[in-house]
Amino acid sequence: MRALPGPGGPRAPAPLLLLLLCLLAAARPSWADGHPSASPVTSLPVREEMMAKYSNLPLESHNISLTEHSDVPVEKNITLQRPSNVELICQFTTSGDLNLVNVTWKKDDELLESNYMINITGSIMYTLYTVTIINSKQMGSYSCFFEEEKEQRGTFNFKVPELHGKNKPLITYVGDSTVLICKCQDCAPLNWTWYSSNGSVQRPKGSQILYIPVKELMAIRRANKKNVPLDVQMNDKYVINGTNANETRLKIMHISEEDQGSYWCHAVFQLGESEERLQLVVLSYLVPLKPFLGIIAEVVLLVAIILLCEMYTQKKKKQPDDGKEFKQMEQLKSDDSNGIENNATRHRKNESVSQ
Amino acid sequence: MAKAKRARSTAPPDGGWGWMIVVGCFLVTICTRAVTRCISIFFVEFQTYFTQDYAQTAWIHSIVDCMTMLCAPLGSVVSNHLSCQVGIMLGGLLASTGLILGSFATSLKHLYLTLGVVTGLGFALCYSPAIAMVGKYFSRRKALAYGIAMSGSGIGTFVLAPVVQLLIEQFSWRGALLILGGFVLNLCVCGALMRPITLKEDHTTPEQNHVCRTQTRDFKRVSPCSILTNKWVQTCLCCSLQQEYSFLLMSDFVVLAVSVLFMAYGCSPLFVYLVPYALSVGVSHQQAAFLMSILGVIDIIGNITFGWLTDRRCLKNYRYVCYLFAVGLDGLCYLCLPMLQSLPLLVPFSCTFGYFDGAYVTLIPVVTAEIVGTTSLSSALGVVYFLHAVPYLVSPPIAGWLVDATGSYTAAFLLCGFSMIFSSVLLGFARLVKKMRKTQLRFLAKESDPKLQLWTNGSVAYSVARGLDQKDEGSVAMAVPGYNPT
Repeated sequence: MRALPGPGGPRAPAPLLLLLLCLLAAARPSWADGHPSASPVTSLPVREEMMAKYSNLPLESHNISLTEHSDVPVEKNITLQRPSNVELICQFTTSGDLNLVNVTWKKDDELLESNYMINITGSIMYTLYTVTIINSKQMGSYSCFFEEEKEQRGTFNFKVPELHGKNKPLITYVGDSTVLICKCQDCAPLNWTWYSSNGSVQRPKGSQILYIPVKELMAIRRANKKNVPLDVQMNDKYVINGTNANETRLKIMHISEEDQGSYWCHAVFQLGESEERLQLVVLSYLVPLKPFLGIIAEVVLLVAIILLCEMYTQKKKKQPDDGKEFKQMEQLKSDDSNGIENNATRHRKNESVSQ
Repeated sequence: MAKAKRARSTAPPDGGWGWMIVVGCFLVTICTRAVTRCISIFFVEFQTYFTQDYAQTAWIHSIVDCMTMLCAPLGSVVSNHLSCQVGIMLGGLLASTGLILGSFATSLKHLYLTLGVVTGLGFALCYSPAIAMVGKYFSRRKALAYGIAMSGSGIGTFVLAPVVQLLIEQFSWRGALLILGGFVLNLCVCGALMRPITLKEDHTTPEQNHVCRTQTRDFKRVSPCSILTNKWVQTCLCCSLQQEYSFLLMSDFVVLAVSVLFMAYGCSPLFVYLVPYALSVGVSHQQAAFLMSILGVIDIIGNITFGWLTDRRCLKNYRYVCYLFAVGLDGLCYLCLPMLQSLPLLVPFSCTFGYFDGAYVTLIPVVTAEIVGTTSLSSALGVVYFLHAVPYLVSPPIAGWLVDATGSYTAAFLLCGFSMIFSSVLLGFARLVKKMRKTQLRFLAKESDPKLQLWTNGSVAYSVARGLDQKDEGSVAMAVPGYNPT
């Protein structure tokens, strides 16, 4: 006897199918309404992750103000040496309607899409762009544009700290030693290096590295656990050290004529590099000797003239005095025999002598 | 020798070759005081080259200043015994040798020795004899002559500072020291200008002088042999030193010496601490440097104008009072300084302080000459400048310690202000006591017998006639036998 499928058999998969349908129905709205490029459900955790990763970086804030009448593009230079989060704020004041103003941000002529906010308070429009700068790729110029009738532009320029050497050439002498100093304000570079070149202004590509920086040398020594044989000539001639993190000193000893030229100090930061040129001029000892001998000659001449003048005036004074004394002696001799009458004449003569 | 003594005694010429002496002294002040101040321009170079900090290099300046003042008596002894010309020329050679040797230095210790000790000693041999020489050549226009001569330090600093900076840029510090050594050799030219002059006053012999001469004459008669001539030389030296430094026992001079100690203690820290104080109240670096330049320029103006002022007939008899007035006013300025907290208030302070600083610097040799007379002026000035040395050395570090301990400049400035006011009050008090004694004496003399009355009447008339000579004590002593000047 054959059993026929009853209504129980085909009725068993129906609840499962219903469940599937229900799930599909629930899931559909998210697909339909969601943004084709980034789904809010999945994109939020990524952004939070990024913020969490870089939230320990310092936060800086910089402002630029623009008006509709600004003729010249406004620029602001920002010096940065460590990775940090930077907020760039542009504010725009105009007499016209702020809703008609179009705001854009560009980095080095490349249009930026996201990460900026616009806020209108009263008659001022603020736009805020947050950027996280972690390496040299993010350094550059960021500009905000306000388009009304004219386009107004404000630019933030990011730079690594500049190095300061000496503007004027350093003078030194043959056989002497000298110290070249390079420093920067409130900075702590990862690395300092010195280069030397003779004659040219631009640092040539193949210019010689003078010396391995001290930190690296110490690392090499520790790794080898024995004395690294240094080039003796190098060690005698150049010594690099720095008392603070923000400066470096190059001491050059036993200077000769060939050491004249340009020296470059090079600092490496996390966000880029910076360098500065110093000039060394080597003179021989004869150069200051000439003015010195000139002054000595002048002194000897003046002393001779003054002493000769003094002797001359003394001789002049002595001659009439000698004459007067001789006369006085003669008169004394003759007066002795004459008597009291000549006392008066003697007194008069004494007076004339004392004058 | 007899010929020279007979022919040359004159009154101070007040002009003629005197103006060449003023020019010479002006150059001496430039080459000594201005060069000392300009040495601090080298400190940045020394710090870089020898890798030392500021405190180590600043010792050079202290050593030079200290040596110049401490060895000032040595300078006056040398110029008294040899001659002013030889003394200053010797000093010039020594100072320039120190600078030239300094240009070859290989360590900071070498610089302490050459630039510090040798150059300082050379400056000491020049400074006080040159100033004393001006006093010998002038009497009526003494203050003006001193004003012009002392303005050399201010004008010299003003002119030399950029020149030294230029020399360092062109020739580095070694070349600059060499050329500066050549410049300082001009002290020999100044020495050649200092023609000796014998004044009438040099022939008046006080009692000690007389005793000394009779002693030496006795020795000459009694002992022609070589053993006893040594003793004679010694007593001669002792006697001459006794003669030269007899003014040390004068009460007036002792009062002046004590007041100079306090005055020198007070005046030096301002030049060191004005710029840091200005920076601490919010003045910028350039404005603080501007304050120092104002101080320097007004110092020069104060030198010359105050000198001219105190030569006027109305103020001539009150030079002493003008001196203590200038010192007291500087002290008052110090007391007001902690209350001045902004640039518009600090500028008038700089002007006032600078003016009266220049004023009393001009009057120090004048007042000293009035007290000791022109014969001992060289030695007296040596002692007075010697007394400047220790306070100059000690006062800036003490002020620095006070600033560090209290955290503000008020205590240091108040101390200096009170020191200067005490100095001027001491002088005023001493003068007052002297006047009271005189009036008391006249009162007593009037009460006693008519013979003395006659004498005192004569002495009153005598002192009025010779009031300009400031020898009232001497005249009263001659009139009243029992009167004790001290």
